[in-house]
Amino acid sequence: MNPIDGDTDGKPEPPLSVVPPARAVACSASLTLTEPFTLREHTAPSRVLFGPHETNLARRRDISDRHVAYYARRAAGGAGVLVTETASVTADDWPYERAPLAADCGPGWAALAAAVRPHGTLVLAGLGHAGGQGSSAYSQSVLWAPSPVADAASRELPAELEQGGIDAVVAGFAAAAELAATAGLAGVEIDAGPLALLRQFHSGLTNHRGDGYGSDRLRLTREVLTAVRAALGPDGILSLRLCCDELAPWAGVTPEQAAEQVDALAGLGLLDLLVVTRGGPYSTTSYRPTSHTAPTFNRELCAAMRTAAAGRVPVVLQGSVVDVDDAEAALADGVADLVEMTRAQIADPELVAKARAGHAERVRPCLLCNQACRVRDNRNPIVSCVGEPRSGHETEDAPPEGTDHRPREVLVVGGGPAGLEAARVLASRGHGVTLAEAGERLGGALRTAAVGPGRERLALLTDWLAAECARLGVRFLFGRTVTAVDLDAAEAAGEAVILATGSVPADRVYPSPPGAATVPVVSALALLDGGVGVLPDGPVVVHDPVGGPVAVGIAEWLAGAGREVALVAPDQVAGTLLSLTGDLAPANTRLAQAGVRRELRSLVREAAAGRVVLEDVWTGARRDIPCAVLVDCGHRLPMEALYLQRPGTPRAGDCVAPRTALEAVLEGRRRALEVAASTGRPRRAPVGAGSAREGAAR
Amino acid sequence: MSATGRYQYLFNPLRIGPLTVRNRVVFSAHLTNYAADGMPTEQHAAYYAARAAGGAGLIITEEHSTHPTDWPYEKLIHGFNPAVIPGYRRITEAVHAHGTPILAQINHNGGQASSMFSRQPVWAPSPVPDPLFREVPKALEPHEIREVVAGYGLVAEHCVAGGFDGIELQCSHSSIVRGFLSPATNKRTDAYGGSLANRARLLLEIVDAVRAAIGPARALGVRICGDELIEGGTTIEDAVAIAQMVEAQGKVDYINTSIGVATATLYMIEASMQVPPGYAMFIPSAIRAAVSLPVVGVGRFKDPLQADRALAAGQADLIGVVRGQIADADFVAKARAGHATEIRTCLSCNQECVGRMGLNRWLGCIENPRTGREAVPLPAPRRRGQRVFVVGGGPGGLQAAVTAAERGHHVTLFERSDRLGGQVLLAASVPSRAEFLDITRNLVAHAQRAGVDVKLSTEVDADLLLAERPDAVILATGATPNAPWWAGGHPRVVDVRDVLEGRAVPAGKVIVVDELGFHQATSVAELLADRGCQVEVITNGMVVGQDLGVTLDMEQWNVKAAARGVTQATDLVPMGAAPADDGDGVVLSLQHHPTGTDQTRAVDWVVCAVHQRADDTLYRALLAARTGLPAGPHSPEGRQAGDLPFTVTRVGDCLSPRRAHAAVVEGQRAAVAIA
Repeated sequence: MNPIDGDTDGKPEPPLSVVPPARAVACSASLTLTEPFTLREHTAPSRVLFGPHETNLARRRDISDRHVAYYARRAAGGAGVLVTETASVTADDWPYERAPLAADCGPGWAALAAAVRPHGTLVLAGLGHAGGQGSSAYSQSVLWAPSPVADAASRELPAELEQGGIDAVVAGFAAAAELAATAGLAGVEIDAGPLALLRQFHSGLTNHRGDGYGSDRLRLTREVLTAVRAALGPDGILSLRLCCDELAPWAGVTPEQAAEQVDALAGLGLLDLLVVTRGGPYSTTSYRPTSHTAPTFNRELCAAMRTAAAGRVPVVLQGSVVDVDDAEAALADGVADLVEMTRAQIADPELVAKARAGHAERVRPCLLCNQACRVRDNRNPIVSCVGEPRSGHETEDAPPEGTDHRPREVLVVGGGPAGLEAARVLASRGHGVTLAEAGERLGGALRTAAVGPGRERLALLTDWLAAECARLGVRFLFGRTVTAVDLDAAEAAGEAVILATGSVPADRVYPSPPGAATVPVVSALALLDGGVGVLPDGPVVVHDPVGGPVAVGIAEWLAGAGREVALVAPDQVAGTLLSLTGDLAPANTRLAQAGVRRELRSLVREAAAGRVVLEDVWTGARRDIPCAVLVDCGHRLPMEALYLQRPGTPRAGDCVAPRTALEAVLEGRRRALEVAASTGRPRRAPVGAGSAREGAAR
Repeated sequence: MSATGRYQYLFNPLRIGPLTVRNRVVFSAHLTNYAADGMPTEQHAAYYAARAAGGAGLIITEEHSTHPTDWPYEKLIHGFNPAVIPGYRRITEAVHAHGTPILAQINHNGGQASSMFSRQPVWAPSPVPDPLFREVPKALEPHEIREVVAGYGLVAEHCVAGGFDGIELQCSHSSIVRGFLSPATNKRTDAYGGSLANRARLLLEIVDAVRAAIGPARALGVRICGDELIEGGTTIEDAVAIAQMVEAQGKVDYINTSIGVATATLYMIEASMQVPPGYAMFIPSAIRAAVSLPVVGVGRFKDPLQADRALAAGQADLIGVVRGQIADADFVAKARAGHATEIRTCLSCNQECVGRMGLNRWLGCIENPRTGREAVPLPAPRRRGQRVFVVGGGPGGLQAAVTAAERGHHVTLFERSDRLGGQVLLAASVPSRAEFLDITRNLVAHAQRAGVDVKLSTEVDADLLLAERPDAVILATGATPNAPWWAGGHPRVVDVRDVLEGRAVPAGKVIVVDELGFHQATSVAELLADRGCQVEVITNGMVVGQDLGVTLDMEQWNVKAAARGVTQATDLVPMGAAPADDGDGVVLSLQHHPTGTDQTRAVDWVVCAVHQRADDTLYRALLAARTGLPAGPHSPEGRQAGDLPFTVTRVGDCLSPRRAHAAVVEGQRAAVAIA
């Protein structure tokens, strides 16, 4: 059935276009990645680790029901080893509000052990102490660290740990390990990574002690490992997450020092697993960076540490390992014995299962965008994923998977992430889906935005959605603008409709004095779509009232193309919203290195005669800068012409309000599940029933 | 003259619709972040009850959300969920026990929100993104407007069931109603946009719905923004007209006022000490002249006399005192009893109240360690009459002495200098920071009342303590400046304290190095610029004075800096300070760390706002004096230190140099821990 049959304008049907190719992923018959791996008396069902990370899933400082559901889903999907969110081993350590406290985690760990048992995944309790990188905001107590060295980010000055405090830390690790073992977990992982007290002891940046913990910087870690091993007994798995490069060679841990540390620690005969990480007080965000850092950036570092470990301890590659091919290659090349794929399994909890089934191409890609999964933020956002918004919300969102026994025909209007996700979910549940796209390609604004250094991975999500839709039999119509007449025809034919028509530029007006030559204005998406060639010669002013990744990306991209670029923003820093992703400081560094001039805390007041007039947001002082063309990176407006002709039609994504891919995917999915749940003859909801469609009340 | 007679109007009862308040002081609505899982908590009840017990005339709770689409911050009370009612009852019963009426503020924040928590589109009159949240909202459809109105009615019913004496509608600084009222955010072309009458339609419909829900026996107030302080926003003329419309509707009992937009001009809503008191009283004055309803005025009222004068001047009928009662729950009772000088005056520093709200933390107070902890009573002292020696008269030592004395101990406070106050004296010596001095002024007065024996100009050493053998020693010996490694001993590279204490008098070109991100660098920059210096403030961070944003001082700092010609530069790491070839100046080597490029600055002086060193000389001496134990690694805090005949506890900067709040909290904790 063709939903466009009712089209009365007599034009011939446009041909079905060719679906964009899926990502090329090698599907070898058997992957090392999915093989079991033995640790002491335990066998991990795969060589893929789900690493510890902030989730804000705790109710207070516990491992909550939400944690259990979140982790159990990854275990069911084939994760080999799973390390729970790092729990503080002493009560004085409270680095963020929902940071688990080991003493409060016993019941949660036990519930998790029970939930994961059927899947065979080895669960380790993440244990740590943030030391001087913690926060006094919640504990209202002084921070303790090896030496009184202020943290580079918080600028808070810690007090020097005294022997009693050191003893308490060692005892805390041991008690927590005993609690984890009692709860039925396979073991523990000790944090000596980029945010850990133990690393602060390892480093010349933060350890200025004159005692035995200063002359022997591994001493505390040794004491901790010894005590933890004693608490675990011979059967428990003991893993160490070790920072092997603080990226501060003047005094920090270098890879060379780390190799010596690995040699010494492996020689203790206490460790069962070593996770190689990088990042220190000046580079905490390089631990799990955005896509501006290439995937598997720790390969060399990890290989060196594996050499240093010399077979005494299996080594785990961590660091933006997100693609199955890369992971498999790391194992095949002897870089590591296991791979940590944390964000990849946030994006697709079934990564291992799909790879094992020979369908690695079906793994929902991780974009390395950090938009929803990096939640070390005062607001306590729940961990989630732009492509898989159920992640972190396992206890509240129903799974989109399922089979509906009364299949329907559905017309989805618009091929951006909202429309594609709606089509994907409906098709996967057995419905007949036709997706009409006004343009000639799928992916919408997200696909367009995937331009410029570090931005390319955004395309992976839309390409994956398109490939899944194609695999599931969604029919695509390209170059078709759907009209109200089409919607009426679809309704008459008993079909459901979902609108996902996206956004339009806001056509922001930049005033110019009468008679002055105007400055051409190009919208961000038009520029990305058309390429640098659409810009006239001369200095480019990128106007960013949003502070998000788009303007920063465009400025970098234009500077890379040799253009003179000024980035104008109302804030004190460029890309202010990037603090959530961890890319704020790196982005500003990249802009500085690229020679982009940042015109901050500024409004654009006028654009005329080759110049723009800027006004200081606080003082009102005005100045002007040269401008041959202005790139408007401001907010867009919903494309709602079709909706306004047939109000009440289900809609999703930017055509409701232009936001990000996260909201588009979430709403596309919700609309699809609502359509799937509706029985009988589909009706557009009557005016007055809107709220039910926008998501049920919590 | 009776105590209350000192005040002409403050203690005159007033009718507010069906209610009568016993005085004119309102504990008006403000966020607390005390909610958990969308529910009001025991802490809410204890917090409000403490202000009721302290004499507040009227309490208005923080906002309760009227609809699931409204969830701009994590710890918002979900008034739309009927499960709130038992928590409401707990609050109202606790407050009513003191004879104080309490209203619930109900609100939908509209476009001043994000979908982070709700996972639903943000609702607003038009798709105009908020300047803070920057998320394009969904323009409300007609049925959604009806749903918003119904949500207010529903929550009003919950509030009635929960025992509230009435409702306040927050239509002022963060509200969907403000969004509709304001031409800056309402671009609608239907009956809810365009003329003021149209823009006010939603407000009047909500008033109708809420009055219908609460009946005649409860009070209903509307809080209006008198000036949004944004381009194209609501102005005082609009606000007066709105108040008149509301009055003409005949369903509202009072008008509350505010200034600014919470997501654009918050620094004028919760003004810090940089803004003069009474700055917003033009708003209630104008409204009061146009309507006969009682009008509430707000804006940095710190003192009951100041409130009384505003009433006498006819600026308002009631005065909102929020931070004043956060700092001292007994603000009203002390005034009524004629002991206004005993009020722990608010500093308007915004560090632990306003500053913690924006960071999603529970509300506290820099000088009142009980604020935010009302639901958790302090343990009663196990013994009284202990001899307590406190060494150091800064905020940490003073707080320790006050708390210990109040708990029945015999307290002697030793101060090396001839004046109490510690570094607060320095911080407050900059004119625009003068009110910061109130923290130690309050503590000194409190210490006198509590009977603390203060010994000024007295140096304490280990021998003295070992000879006197008190039961407990609390060390609050502070910190000393710590020259950074790159200073190279240059005599013109000095610390902020050297300038504020008069040891150094910089002139000419001065660089201030900000590695603390708070008032130290900006205060001294302002001071030196006023003395005629040409000042540049540099920082290794991305922003000079990074934490000034938290306390809402960033705007004023930048305006003042610009007016004084103070320049700022970021991302610069000092690498060395060399003598100038000619004269006594300094050549400062800097590295711009994002690009790795080097710069030099030739200046006359460099002033460092950098971390200090803990002054733990006495602590080390005591540890060394322990018998039978070697000096070296030491016992943890709060425990018996080796074989000393008394407990030793460090508080504040001598433990680790930080801000005043840490000293106060630790001072109190140390005193409570005395066995």
